[in-house]
Amino acid sequence: MTSRSRLSAWRRWLPGIALLAAGLLVKPVQDRIDSLRPDGEVDADLIYFSSPGAVKAMALGYESLLADVYWMRAIQYYGRREEAARRQVRYKNLPALLDIVTTLDPQMLDVYRAGSIFLAEPDPIGAGQPREAIRLLDRGISQLPKEWRLLFDKGFVYFWYLHDYRSAGQTWLAAARLEGSPPWIEGLAARGLSQGGAVDAAKDLWRRELENSTRADVRNNARDHLNGIQVDEDIWTLEFFVEKYTATHNARPPTLAELVRAGFTSSVPNDPSGMPYDYYAPTGAVSLNPSSKARPITLPDDYRQIFMNRLAAWYESHQKK
Amino acid sequence: MKVLAIARNTFRENIRDKILYNLILFALLMILSSLVLGQLTLGYEEKVIVDLGLSSISIFGTLIAIFIGIGLVYKELERRTIYALLAKPVHRWEFILGKYLGLLITLLANVVIMTAGLELTLAANGGISLENSLRLIPAVYLIFLSLAVTTAVALLFSSFSTPALSALFTFFLWVIGHFNADLLKFAQLTKAATAEFVAGVLYYVLPNISNFSVADSRSVIQSAAYFEPIRAAAVAWATCYAFLYSAILLAIATAIFLHRDFK
Amino acid sequence: MAIIEMENLTKDFQVGFWKKHPVRALDHLTLGVESGEVFGFLGPNGAGKTTTLKILMGLIRPTEGWAHVLGEPVTSVSMRRRIGYLPENPYFYDYLTAEELLRYVGALFGMRQPALGNRVRSLLEELGLGDARKLQLRRFSKGMIQRIGLAQAMINDPEVIFLDEPMSGLDPLGRREVRQAILGLKNRGATVFFSSHILPDVEALCDRVAILNRGRLRQAGALHDILKVKIEAHEIVLAGISEEVTAGLRPLCDEVTPMGERLQLRAGRPQQVEEIISFALAHGASLVSVNPIRPSLEDYFFHEVAGAGRE
Repeated sequence: MTSRSRLSAWRRWLPGIALLAAGLLVKPVQDRIDSLRPDGEVDADLIYFSSPGAVKAMALGYESLLADVYWMRAIQYYGRREEAARRQVRYKNLPALLDIVTTLDPQMLDVYRAGSIFLAEPDPIGAGQPREAIRLLDRGISQLPKEWRLLFDKGFVYFWYLHDYRSAGQTWLAAARLEGSPPWIEGLAARGLSQGGAVDAAKDLWRRELENSTRADVRNNARDHLNGIQVDEDIWTLEFFVEKYTATHNARPPTLAELVRAGFTSSVPNDPSGMPYDYYAPTGAVSLNPSSKARPITLPDDYRQIFMNRLAAWYESHQKK
Repeated sequence: MKVLAIARNTFRENIRDKILYNLILFALLMILSSLVLGQLTLGYEEKVIVDLGLSSISIFGTLIAIFIGIGLVYKELERRTIYALLAKPVHRWEFILGKYLGLLITLLANVVIMTAGLELTLAANGGISLENSLRLIPAVYLIFLSLAVTTAVALLFSSFSTPALSALFTFFLWVIGHFNADLLKFAQLTKAATAEFVAGVLYYVLPNISNFSVADSRSVIQSAAYFEPIRAAAVAWATCYAFLYSAILLAIATAIFLHRDFK
Repeated sequence: MAIIEMENLTKDFQVGFWKKHPVRALDHLTLGVESGEVFGFLGPNGAGKTTTLKILMGLIRPTEGWAHVLGEPVTSVSMRRRIGYLPENPYFYDYLTAEELLRYVGALFGMRQPALGNRVRSLLEELGLGDARKLQLRRFSKGMIQRIGLAQAMINDPEVIFLDEPMSGLDPLGRREVRQAILGLKNRGATVFFSSHILPDVEALCDRVAILNRGRLRQAGALHDILKVKIEAHEIVLAGISEEVTAGLRPLCDEVTPMGERLQLRAGRPQQVEEIISFALAHGASLVSVNPIRPSLEDYFFHEVAGAGRE
């Protein structure tokens, strides 16, 4: 009798135990399956179709909605920095995603504009694929030929990311011919067409973006670029003066403030975030304070050259006074 | 009029069907959620609301048309309510037409409710001008026409097939109906005379749903999302097509009905 | 001209997946029903009664033969305005209330307010459904469904009414109400054509009957004419019987069944009745009852089917 009651108790618990055991087994099995998958692009962003044309055909009349969905996907894909950092190629799928969006709904102006920035910006900010940006903008232009902003953006990409100043100038000229384009585009075109990495034109561009864009992210990007240029120019200028001081005093200035006292400059600027620059007297090197919020930017070498020439020329003319 | 009496009874039956309320609720939730989703698109909030709203009206309307449509005749047969009904002085075509109109009225009510929800969502998002809110109407109307044709297809299958098969075939035809033009183009590529002929016949025989989802080479929903007008001619011809095609399907359903035994 | 006419009505059903085996549900049925009659249509299950009714209502097309009601072919839609039909095991839209159903049916007959509303109300009262007016049909008992079915068949005050098993599922009270309704219809001059199994009801109501078996008409005419021939046996109940009297009675009759204080005897032939009674009375028993044993319809059909089996 005791054995029978023990058996029936056992039987009562058996289904519950079996269920629990099955539940506990799920995790290790799933983990095993996951480990069998090739590493690297364990991307959550599956692109279900590689052909945008196929996506459009499958849309069954809901292309507009699908375009919105894929646009949200693209923004997530681009915006989730930590996730992006884990990928082997950070923004590998971005051009394809943007292609799908613009195939589904070719009229989304902001997709071309913001998308071109995402594509053109170098790693790690963007995909570092300015050619893809041009391609995207070209599609936009063919769909929205009256939209001067797309031509403006295209010229921008040529100018800043591809250093192709002639194409930039030509594109901006085409933009200037469109109805509704602002008056300053022509001037920009002219400067772009002139050779020589006119970073002043670039600074002008960034300033225009800062003033005119309605999008916060585009404005922030412009501000960062302006500040970055400012940092480089400040450092070059300060180092130049340090050299001049060394030449005349046969010793490096102990601090940057000394430059002011010696009359080389009227003031020593702080970096755009308000922090003073670091100065290492033994070598005369000026650099950005590591804890500064300002971000340096890599400028083309020929610009440094031009800037230094201009600085030297200014200095000479100033000396003669 | 007897057709209206049957239609009214069908409408009454439909509004007591729980599946209707589930689908309407779901659709309204989708429309509301677009308020949140819009935030993720960096500047396209209104577009997302209209896209999601109209797509929901279209998809859920189609689901209602199919799920209730396949039961229109089948339920009467299966529940045997049809015996008492057909013994009355009612022509078979009056029965078919009455059932069809009943579901159409139900769908109209749904579409109106969901469109109102959409307009309210747009208003809540930041207001909408009267002109823009009216721009949505032709798109909604075209969606309604697609529902009318889908219902006719569902009803036709309902008169001789089981619900499961009817649902499958109706859905299948609805999907194919978006590819009619591609089918024709594809057949033309093969350059085989029989294929082209068959494809040509199919092009006209299968329901051409893209007549209601595309106007001026643009998706109707997309035009509405940018608050752009849809050409009146497109709307008028689509109405003609819907009327003709549905009438043909209803006539076939009536013919099937006339020749069958009600054991 | 008969108000219902059927001539050589035949129906074959194709049975089997490839529809290879026709089953003959009706075999050359020829029958006429006169105006104002209450006509009973009898037969065992599968005899073809429901098939006949469905052909008359235009729900099934006959393989051969034709049928007319009120002088018009059964497919005529306009003729249906003057008739009523109650199907077997009826089912109505269960989401409607009794009132809503009758209004709907009335609308299909082209009836309008206020006449429709009045008719609905009085009809519901007449059939004992007055309290259930606003009740949804899904809450109705089987008996109530039967009665609302009768109501929708009567709503247009039909000249001819067809009822398929109108008493099925009813308790004695319900059966009485239906019976009264049918009599009411007869008094109003309508022709009633109904199919049934239940002999007492048929006997009480019908002027003439037809008996169907395996799709064929076996008999048609007044019921007592058909069944009277068979009334032979009698049942005699006696009281105050002793053992010896019982033993004496046994050879005089077919069957003896003691029932407590009484004795029940079955006499197969009319001659036996007299013998038994005189013997019993002579031996001090008292007579409780003498009743002719009517053959039940089941008995009749048992006989018929067994006979038909040999054909």
